[in-house]
Amino acid sequence: MSRALSPADHVAGVRAGDRRVIAKTITLLESRRADHRELGQEVLDQLVPHSGNALRVGITGPPGVGKSSFIETLGLQLVGKGLSLAVLAIDPSSPVSGGSILGDKTRMERLAREPRAFIRPTPSGGTLGGVAHRTREAILVCEAAGFDAVIVETVGVGQSEVEVRSMVDLFAVLLQPGAGDELQGLKKGVLELADVLVVNKADGEQRAAAERTRADYEHALALLQPASAAWTPAVLTASARTGEGVEAFWQTVLAHREAIQKSGELERRRRGQARAWLWRLVDEGLEAAFRADPKTAARLPELETEVESHATSAPRAARILLDIFTRRRGSR
Amino acid sequence: MIDPLGGSYYVESLTAAMAREAEKLIAEVEALGGMTRAIEAGMPKLKIEEAATRRQARIDRGEDVVVGVNKYPPPQATDVEVLDIDNSEVRQKQVARLEQIRSARDAKRCESALAALEAGARTREANLLELAIECARARASVGEISSALERVYGRHRAETRSVSGVYAAAYRGDPDFEALQKEIQAFAEDEGRRPRILVAKLGQDGHDRGAKVIATSFADLGFDVDVGPLFQTPEEVARQAIENDVHAVGVSTQAGGHKTLVPQLVAALRAQGGGDVVVICGGVIPQQDYAFLREHGVANVFGPGTQVPRAAREVLASIRARRA
Repeated sequence: MSRALSPADHVAGVRAGDRRVIAKTITLLESRRADHRELGQEVLDQLVPHSGNALRVGITGPPGVGKSSFIETLGLQLVGKGLSLAVLAIDPSSPVSGGSILGDKTRMERLAREPRAFIRPTPSGGTLGGVAHRTREAILVCEAAGFDAVIVETVGVGQSEVEVRSMVDLFAVLLQPGAGDELQGLKKGVLELADVLVVNKADGEQRAAAERTRADYEHALALLQPASAAWTPAVLTASARTGEGVEAFWQTVLAHREAIQKSGELERRRRGQARAWLWRLVDEGLEAAFRADPKTAARLPELETEVESHATSAPRAARILLDIFTRRRGSR
Repeated sequence: MIDPLGGSYYVESLTAAMAREAEKLIAEVEALGGMTRAIEAGMPKLKIEEAATRRQARIDRGEDVVVGVNKYPPPQATDVEVLDIDNSEVRQKQVARLEQIRSARDAKRCESALAALEAGARTREANLLELAIECARARASVGEISSALERVYGRHRAETRSVSGVYAAAYRGDPDFEALQKEIQAFAEDEGRRPRILVAKLGQDGHDRGAKVIATSFADLGFDVDVGPLFQTPEEVARQAIENDVHAVGVSTQAGGHKTLVPQLVAALRAQGGGDVVVICGGVIPQQDYAFLREHGVANVFGPGTQVPRAAREVLASIRARRA
C-alpha cells in the first residue's frame, strides 16, 4: 500500500487541493530521508511558481493564552466570508523521548470540520526555536493549493518568534489580560517583532483587566522603535470565546498588508525571507555534509574525548575538523 | 465500639498522610482561584491523568499487582458470555421512540416550557431545575432541554492538556523499554519521520482517560501522537488521520460502540484515500469481538490489561508490515 506518489502526482494533487495529497506532500518535505528530500525538492520546484498568493500570518503567545481558540474563531469567521485557510500548528517535541503530543485538532474541533479549512499539526522535532524545520516549505505547499490565508501557530518560547517572523507577512503575539508582571517577563525582543499585539480573553470579568493590559502595552510599545517604517504596531483586545474583536483583528491584518504593500516593504520582506531561507538550507546542507564526511567522522570520537578531558580545547578541535573537511573538498 | 482502629499508630499515620496530601491539592486549587477556575484550566483532569499514567506504568512493570492481570494470569482464556448489543438497532428504536413522543406531545406546551427555560437561564436568577422539570413534564427530550441552555451558556469544551514524561520516568533504566525506544528511533531513520498515531474517540463515549494514558505513554516511547477530540464521527476521525498523515489510528473504545463505529471508520478512511492507514483498537472489547474487528480491517486489538510497551511494539510491527 505504500506506493509512493510521483512528483507529478504530488504537484497535480496539491494544485487540485486534494487534502490527502497536500498532507502527503507536507510529510514528504518534512522527511529526513535523503531520497525523500530529493523528491521533495523536485515537487517544491514545481510548486513555488504557484505560491506567494496567501496572507501569511504568524501567531504566537505563552501557553494557555488561547492561541488555538483564537485561531479557531478567526478561522470560522474567515470561512464564513467564503475564504479558505490552512493552519500549520507546531507543537513541541519532547527533548527526552523525541516524541510529541499534538492536540490542535482537539482545540480547534469546529474548524477541523470545515471543508474550507486544513489544519496540520507538526512536531517541532527538536529543531531550535520550536518551529518545525520545514514550516516554510509547508506554507508554500498550502499556497500552491490555493488557500487564501496560511496561519502558523507556535508556542511562544524564546527563539521561535524570530524564526516565525522570518516566514510570515504579519506576526501577531497573543497576551493574557491583567498581566502587569508578564509585561516585565515578556522579552523586549518579542514586542519589537510583533506587528500586532492582541490581549485575548477580553470578556466577562476579565474585560476591564484586558483593557488595562492593552493600555500598558500601548505605552510600552510607544517607547520602542517600530520595526517597520510603514506600520506602527497595533494593540487590540479580543475574545476568542465571544468572537468580539476577532473581526477587528482581521481588518488590522488587511490594513497592515495594504500598508506594507504600498510602501514596498512586503516585497522587501519576502525577498529577505527568501534569502534567509537559502542560507538556512546552505547551513543545513553544510552540516549534513560535514557529519556524513568519513574522514572527519574518523577523527571525531578521538577529538571529542580530548575536548571532554580538556586535552584539546574546543576551538582547536573544531579547527582541526574543519580543516580536514575543507581540505578534502578542495582537493576534489 | 465505634472505631476499632482508633489510636493504631499505623492507621493514624496513613490517615494523617492522606489528609496532608489532600491539603496540598486543596491549596493548589485555591491558588488557582477556586475549583471552578481549576476545572476551567483543566487542572483536576490533568492530575487524574498523571496518576493514571503512573499507575499504568507500575502495573505494566509488575510493581502494582493486579491478580489475574499481571500476576497469576489464567492459564487459559475462559469464555465469558457477554451480552451482545446491536447498536444500530438500539439507535433505530430510540429514534422511533423519540419520533413517537414528539408527535404525541402537546407541541405548544413543550415549546413554551423550553422557551421559559431559555429565558430563565438568561436572567441568571430563575430556578432552572424547576423550569427543566416543567420541560420534561411537557415531554421535551434531554437533548432539547440541554440545547435550550446551550443557546445561553454555550457548550463546555474541556481544555485538553497532556502530561508527558510520567510513563517514561517509571521505566528509567529498564533495558526492554530502552530497546523499544531504539526500535522506534530506527523506524524514524528508515522512514524519515517518527511513527505517528492518532488516538481517537468515536461516538458517544466520553471516557478518555485510557486514551490519554496511551497518548502520553506512546509519546514517551518516541511516537508522535495526535490526540483527537471526544465524540467524533468516523468521517471526522478519518479526515484528521488524513490531514495529519498519520501511520495509524488507535480507537479507544469504552462504551461498546466498536462493532458499529470501527468498521465505519475503516470505510471512511478508504473513501477518503487513506486505505493505507493502520487501524487499531483498544479498550473494553470482549474477546469474541476480536475476530469480527480483524475481519473488518483492524490490525491489532488490545483488551484490558494489555501492557503498553507490548502494544507499542505490535503497532510498530503493523505499521512496518503495511509499508513493506
